[in-house]
Amino acid sequence: MGARDIDILSLALLLVFLIPVLWLGGRFKLSLNRTILWSILRMTFQLSLVGLYLKYLFKFNLAWVNILYILVMVTVAVYSVLKSSRLRISKLFGPIFISILLPVGTVLLFINTFVVRIDNIFDAKYLIPICGMLLGNSMRNNIIGLSNFFAGLREHEKIYLYSIALGGRRMQALAPYFQASVIAAINPILASMATIGIVSLPGMMTGQILGGSIPMVAIKYQIVIMLGIFYTQFFSVCLSLLFSIRLGFDEFDVLRKELLC
Amino acid sequence: MIRYEDVHLDFSGKAVFSGFNLKVSENEKLLISGPSGCGKTTLFRILLGFEKVDAGRVFCGDLEVTAPNIRAIRNQLFYLSQDIDFRNAPVAAVLDEIFSFEANRDIKPVRAPQRQYMQLLELEDELLKQNMPELSGGERQRLGLLVCFMLNRPIWLLDEPTASLDKDLRKKLLDHVMAAKKTVIIISHDNIWRQCDTCQIERWS
Repeated sequence: MGARDIDILSLALLLVFLIPVLWLGGRFKLSLNRTILWSILRMTFQLSLVGLYLKYLFKFNLAWVNILYILVMVTVAVYSVLKSSRLRISKLFGPIFISILLPVGTVLLFINTFVVRIDNIFDAKYLIPICGMLLGNSMRNNIIGLSNFFAGLREHEKIYLYSIALGGRRMQALAPYFQASVIAAINPILASMATIGIVSLPGMMTGQILGGSIPMVAIKYQIVIMLGIFYTQFFSVCLSLLFSIRLGFDEFDVLRKELLC
Repeated sequence: MIRYEDVHLDFSGKAVFSGFNLKVSENEKLLISGPSGCGKTTLFRILLGFEKVDAGRVFCGDLEVTAPNIRAIRNQLFYLSQDIDFRNAPVAAVLDEIFSFEANRDIKPVRAPQRQYMQLLELEDELLKQNMPELSGGERQRLGLLVCFMLNRPIWLLDEPTASLDKDLRKKLLDHVMAAKKTVIIISHDNIWRQCDTCQIERWS
């Protein structure tokens, strides 16, 4: 059993709504039409590509290929995090890579080993989609956390330095920015956990139900994935902020400006 | 007590200091005056380790301003910055935080001196209940001075300490600072400091 296939023409039919969108975009002078088209084009191209190589990834299902693929995914996520947070990639790539890989990897293998209890924990069918969900979410919250932290510091550097002058240690003086950034980064997942099922039916669950799973199974997986996302995000943003605090300042506790771009 | 020896510092190609020397003895009071933007505040920031010199050496007591010494040096300095950069929180919370820092822990904010200094600075108890952004410039400045007196560190770096104070208070503050057994460097455009003969004046061009 599985969801009905959709033929290409029917898929293309969804583009009819694009006509009023582009027309309104033009009328309201949003200067977004080009971006809208480009984003839709990219999504279509990238997902087609994923469809193609996932087919082979699932077919061969080799542990080392799957792991390699995950490492590539993490690399792309780290680039995206640093670029969106306006931080120098060359300076922070390593630490942020660890901050994302470690929690994602731990939670992922834990789920596969102890929760779903599949025989081959590197089975592509489980490993890749779950990893994708954890990774996508922790990428987003790292962007929120890091942007928030460095934007706060950029704006209030004098206040931070004043705390240092009054005798605060680096971590004490940075505590308000650290706390605010962790909270900003995990608030969205907390809100979505609190309203899930009432306000929104999550994508994964919808997908599983369409794919033929009974709702109870789909719901269990959804709970697994929500907890997984939450833990990953929490640990990941704490790690990346702690690394930033450790590496982002010189021995005089002054922010290294060469980190920012 | 404080020595700047042949200090050179460039800001994006523009020389702020080239071969600058200055010596301040223990318990000396020094007024630094000069046009805005000539690097007076930078002098404080160098001593605090917030700005690194391109060449030359800076000493505070026996300690040179270097990374291993910087915490020990900072703990001897009280810096009253121009904007009194306390963070946005209730006043009482900010004070509690300052006195919870390891370096300040043995200075218990005992009620008695706090009251005495608050009286001197004409600060009301109500102030402690307010939020930092609600304070006026003058209140902020006086709160900064309250912290200065209570921390009781040996060296005071005061950047425009009287800018937002009224005349009577300026006079009281002047007397208090001049009588204190502290090494004090004052950056100010306020003429009141010049009327005082115990105060050395360093002019700047």
